[in-house]
Amino acid sequence: MSHGGGGHAAELYPENQVILFGAILAIVGMYISQFLPHVSMLIGGLLAVGATVAGANTTRRVAAYGLGTGVPSIGMVSLGLGVISTLAGVLLAGVAISQFNLPNELLYGIPIIVAVVSIVLGFIVGKLTVNPIGMKIPIMVESMTKLSLMGALSILGFCAAYAGGFYPDVIIGGAVKNGIIGLAFIAAGMAILHPFNACLGPNESHKRTLLLAIACGFITWFIFSIVKLDILSSVVSILLWGIVYREFVNQSLKDACCVLYTPEIPKKDM
Amino acid sequence: MAVPLVEITLAGAIINASVHFVPVGGAPAAMATSTGIGTGTTQLAAGAGFTGLMAAAIMAAQKGIVLSNPIHLAIILLSGAVGSMIMLALTMLLGQLIYVFGVGVVPAADKCEKDPITGDYQKSYITPGTTGHAIPTVCFISGLIGAALGGIGGGLAYIALKQLGFASEVAGIIAVGFFFMNAVLASYNIGGTIEGFHDPKFKKMPNGIIASFIASLLTGVIVVGMSIGI
Repeated sequence: MSHGGGGHAAELYPENQVILFGAILAIVGMYISQFLPHVSMLIGGLLAVGATVAGANTTRRVAAYGLGTGVPSIGMVSLGLGVISTLAGVLLAGVAISQFNLPNELLYGIPIIVAVVSIVLGFIVGKLTVNPIGMKIPIMVESMTKLSLMGALSILGFCAAYAGGFYPDVIIGGAVKNGIIGLAFIAAGMAILHPFNACLGPNESHKRTLLLAIACGFITWFIFSIVKLDILSSVVSILLWGIVYREFVNQSLKDACCVLYTPEIPKKDM
Repeated sequence: MAVPLVEITLAGAIINASVHFVPVGGAPAAMATSTGIGTGTTQLAAGAGFTGLMAAAIMAAQKGIVLSNPIHLAIILLSGAVGSMIMLALTMLLGQLIYVFGVGVVPAADKCEKDPITGDYQKSYITPGTTGHAIPTVCFISGLIGAALGGIGGGLAYIALKQLGFASEVAGIIAVGFFFMNAVLASYNIGGTIEGFHDPKFKKMPNGIIASFIASLLTGVIVVGMSIGI
């Protein structure tokens, strides 16, 4: 549930820096998937991990205030908004070309259109959670906007990596009709909501949550590589996951020491 | 264009309302120290809503079902409602068996003196320091109403998307995202836990419905825009 009033642990990196970095990585990944389809899963999948890590980092920041409904709720809303904006961006570009005679080059802008739609949708839904509903979290609107963006980028990132591009016909035929977008919904959702959900509590540290976020991102990438039967990406992703997860376990053990060695309680009352 | 837009907006409001009926207990209920089902709103709404969505989608895919026929629409929505109700009823029943025979607590509601349906006294059965246990009759009935509304809302969103001309797969995944958005808005409105329609928090429902109405209208406009080319 909530952070238990534990407040915020110190941040290793400022949130906006992580968001910017994650968004740029994911968008670059989409373009690589589009123009170099033979390495779409290897590089596009790897870079899509950036979006899930940035999403997990924002989840950590907003959920630390105590949502009252559990951390998964905000992860799921981010993916819900993300899937709507992903399909909206992909299909709206096609509509704009066919109905308003815009040049075909507009299709290259799909990742940007998806990002814009998700930011608008996330901002308005964030406003709604504050105004009629009355959430008392000061960073709710900006966090919903960022989470919606990261949800959309991670879904489009993994779908583009799977389908080998983000053109409407490629992505609808290659990742929506066969249900891969459902996998992207729940697997990327887990990568966004799980890290803080698992690490929250007293003595939560940014480094540990981020390590788990990266590990979750890699395992999501691994799942997609397995589904695509891409042997090279599968091997690389599981190796990277192993390295990061080992680091996470070490970090957990190190942090656990701090909790275990409490000062000795006096045996007698003075 | 106008009919699906109205349908999708209504669907969002209905989904939001439905979540307020479901007895969500959250983490305390998982330890049998609070009334309701022991998990979060999102998971419960998703479980019941998706079953409803699938039941509605299967009915919509039957031979001879025409989406423009109002009687057929009613059958699809009813199918969604029944699917959703079966799912939540089984969840509550099995949870109840574990609470009563496994944990060993008496089903008792905390937010009312007497059960409004059976008239049984509740307060004397609540363990001191807890806020009720398990799923008493009133919560069960409330949960069934919520599940029915959730199934109808999910089904209506799916039908609206199909009427706009989307393929079943695209309509299905948009409906899933749409369902989550509205269910989470409702869950933020509730603030975690609710016992059912007898809970004082139930009176906050209009706020949630307004929020979902606006969010669904916006989504509806985007979705209608997407469907122009189809």
